[in-house]
Amino acid sequence: MVKLDRINLSNEGLTKFFSPIESQIMQVLWENEELTTSMITEKTDIPLSSVAGTLDRLVKAGYANRELDKSGNKVRYIYSASDSMDNTANHITQKVLDSLVDTFGKVAIENFHTYNKKK
Amino acid sequence: MFNIRDELQCYVTCISDSGLLPLIGVVLLAATLMFGLYLKSTDTKNRLISLVLGQLSILAAIALIIHAMNCSQMLSLEIYMAYVILSTSIILLLPRVYYKVLIKRYKARPITEIMDWPQEFVDELDIKATVYYYDSAVPGAFASGKAIFLSIGMLELTDTPELKAILAHEVWHLRHNNKTPILRQLALMSFTGNHSQDELEILADRFAEKTVGKAALESARAKLV
Repeated sequence: MVKLDRINLSNEGLTKFFSPIESQIMQVLWENEELTTSMITEKTDIPLSSVAGTLDRLVKAGYANRELDKSGNKVRYIYSASDSMDNTANHITQKVLDSLVDTFGKVAIENFHTYNKKK
Repeated sequence: MFNIRDELQCYVTCISDSGLLPLIGVVLLAATLMFGLYLKSTDTKNRLISLVLGQLSILAAIALIIHAMNCSQMLSLEIYMAYVILSTSIILLLPRVYYKVLIKRYKARPITEIMDWPQEFVDELDIKATVYYYDSAVPGAFASGKAIFLSIGMLELTDTPELKAILAHEVWHLRHNNKTPILRQLALMSFTGNHSQDELEILADRFAEKTVGKAALESARAKLV
C-alpha cells in the first residue's frame, strides 16, 4: 500500500512517503499529462510485472487516475496524476503536521514557531 | 441435554437388543476393508471405487443403526447426517455458483461493453460462457463456471492472436471442469486428481495451439513469463 501511514524518515526524498517504484511512477506522472502503461514502463525503466501492481495500488489510494481508452480493436489505460505535485506535497505535509500535533500537542506547535523563525 | 454417556448406553442397548449386531459388524468390517484398500491402492480407478464403496458401507451401517434404534437419543447420528448432506451439497453446488462470487469480487463487467470480438470468438468455440473484464493493470486471465475473466492489463499487453490463444486456453479449462463435475469432485475428495496442475496447463495449451496456432500461443507465453 502507498505508505503515507508508515513514514520512513531515514529514506531519501519521496521514498520517505512512497516506495521507490511508487515514487518513480508518481514522478513521471507529475512530469507528463497523460501516459499509457507502456509509456510508464519505458520512462521509469521498470518491468511491467512490477509497474502493473503498483499502478493498481496508486489508483486505489487515489494518487493516480486512469481512464479506459477504446480506440479500434485495442483497449488501454490512460494514466494521470490525481493532483499536482504541489497539492500532493501539501496534502502529505498536512497529514504529518496533524499527526505531530495530535501526538505532541503544544510541544509540536512551539517547534513549528521556532522552526519558522529560524527560516 | 446431550449426554455422551447416556447416548452411548442407548446405542449399545438398542443395537444388542435388535439382533442386527452381526450384520452391522459385517458392514463396518467391509467399510474398514474398503478404506484400507483406498489407502493402499495406487491405481486411480481402484482408489475411487474403494472410496465410494467405503462411504456407501458407512451409509448402510448408519441406516441399519437407525433401524435398530428405538430410543430418541440419536443426536450424534443426526449431526453426522446433517454434516454429510451439507458438505455434499456444498461440494456439488459451489463450482456452479462460485463464478458469480468472482464476478462480484472483481467487479467484473461483460467484455462486450468495451469490445465485441472476444465474446464472438468464445461463442465460435461452442461453449456457453461469458467473457468478463476487470479493472487491473496486472495481466491476468482465469476461468470459472460459465465465465472467463480478463484483466485490462491483459487486454493491453496482448495483440489479437495472442488474446485468442489465451481465450482458447481458458475455454479448455472450462470444458474440462464442466464435463464431469461429480467425478472431478470425487477425485478431489479422494486426492486422486488425474492430472497435476502442470499437466492441465499443458493440455489447455495444446488445445489453444490447435485452435489458434503455435506462433500466437508462444508469443503470448513469452509476454506473460
